Amino acid sequence: MKRLCLLLLCSAAFAAQKADSGKPDRVITIVAERFTFNPSKIVLKEGETAEFVLLSDDTDHGFRIPSAGVDLAIPQQSKGEARVRFVARKRGKYVFECSRPCGAGHNLMRGVIIVK
Amino acid sequence: MRWVALLVLCATGVCAQTTPDLEGRVAELERKMRQLDPDFTPSGSPADLSGRLAALEKKMEDLLSQRAAAPPPAAETTPKPAETAAQPALEAIPPAAAALQPVSYSAPPEKADEEHRLPVAGYMDFHLNKESGDSFRPDFHRFVLLFGHSFSDRIKFWSEFELEHALLEGGEETGEVALEQAYLDFLVKPYLNFRAGMMLTPVGIINERHEPPAFNGVERPFVETLIIPTTWRELGFGITGDLGRGFRYRAYMISSLDASRFDAAEGITGGRTAGFDASFRNPAKVARLEYAGIRRLTLGTSFYTGHAGFNTPGINPRVSLAEFDGRYSFRRLDFRGLFANTWLNRAGELNHRLMQQSGINPNIARQMRGWYLEPAIHVMPRRLRNDVILFARYEKYNTQHRMPDGYVPLDQFNRSSWVTGVTFKPNADVAIKFDYVFNRNKSSVVRPLDGINLGVGWWF
Repeated sequence: MKRLCLLLLCSAAFAAQKADSGKPDRVITIVAERFTFNPSKIVLKEGETAEFVLLSDDTDHGFRIPSAGVDLAIPQQSKGEARVRFVARKRGKYVFECSRPCGAGHNLMRGVIIVK
Repeated sequence: MRWVALLVLCATGVCAQTTPDLEGRVAELERKMRQLDPDFTPSGSPADLSGRLAALEKKMEDLLSQRAAAPPPAAETTPKPAETAAQPALEAIPPAAAALQPVSYSAPPEKADEEHRLPVAGYMDFHLNKESGDSFRPDFHRFVLLFGHSFSDRIKFWSEFELEHALLEGGEETGEVALEQAYLDFLVKPYLNFRAGMMLTPVGIINERHEPPAFNGVERPFVETLIIPTTWRELGFGITGDLGRGFRYRAYMISSLDASRFDAAEGITGGRTAGFDASFRNPAKVARLEYAGIRRLTLGTSFYTGHAGFNTPGINPRVSLAEFDGRYSFRRLDFRGLFANTWLNRAGELNHRLMQQSGINPNIARQMRGWYLEPAIHVMPRRLRNDVILFARYEKYNTQHRMPDGYVPLDQFNRSSWVTGVTFKPNADVAIKFDYVFNRNKSSVVRPLDGINLGVGWWF
């Protein structure tokens, strides 16, 4: 019994280390450019943790997911990147869009995250 | 003994993972703390990693809580209560779990001299143009303000209001004030949305992407001025969408061109109604399909067809236009190219009718054609914020490509141009431009003039 407890203790210690290392299941780079996100369709598995690396190939853009209450600024080309991490808790389709006016096609600069 | 060995083995395993991980996390948190708070200085004993980590996590949590309590910036869209009340199904990890850094920026922290965003967008274009034998002429070519509004996540408004050439005076030949865009988008599905109002005709590269930093050269390409008449906007409605795998489309029914204003030099360009005194008796159809599924590659094709005779009773010629274009970037090289061809039926009858009305033969062609290729190179390393782009563009454009029976082409309108120059971008949204234009035509009588252009254009 004591042996079992000890083994469980060790396992728990290893598991805690892994969780704390904070690595997402997937890292996905999304490039914004007037007037598109590339990729504009992202498929995640339910329960998956994904980190989005958001880059711009031209001017400032935004990354807004209305259903998740997220609104980030994507800095313009060569001024860095934005990162955001998600847990996909429930299956469904979640639209994301540019939230920073960027020109004539701004309204349709959108994409979708599909959680399966 | 076996128990002790097992315990030591486990402890060693944990420690082997712990020490470097702790060091890495402490370093990462200290780096992020410095981004959030430039005055931050690390504290605690270098050996006491756990203590330092706990202190850092607490400090970051406090800082993020303070920021969360502060009012949001004006430009940020505040989520609706309905969206925040229920637990979102796709959940951003809350900032309270600061050790995991759920939302982090790798961009430098905002400084006092950083750019600040206004609630409107816009672009401006100031030029100095000179033709051979002439002096430099300054021209504040475009002053454009853009306004948008979201009535909801599914109904959005967008507009563009433009003043050209700095001055508008009643009855004088001066600039123009124009409503360039004003439309509502009804967003239904990614693949199907509806749009209505004053819209940019989706043809070519420049017509929908004409912000000055988005193209090389002080003036827009000749092909996208004389064969594709940018800025081409009409009243209408249509559908738009993203078909997935990088394919997008737009398909509209729009007010038709006015054939009574076509001519030999500028083809169909003068026939744009721009929403004024427009006709919807025979609405034109226009559609564009784009592929942008590979980063830095965009391919597009557009088709337009419509009758244009609402001001020429008895003659209702059909205008058709087909166009292909592409943009590609490979490392520090950019390429773009475009081909466009316009067909006009009943061109002979139209010429005859217009000559009867005005006494002048407009010599309108039954086909007009143009294409261009533009390679460019970024000469500064990508890591620098400044950018210098050298470019050369060859354009061939003929507004007298095929003539109706009985009409002879005017060779001065069979033209080509080399445009070579440099674009300096101290910021991705500011472009300082210089180019030299070598103009040629097929005429042995009328010689075109070369030109020098200087300009500064910006987007905000």
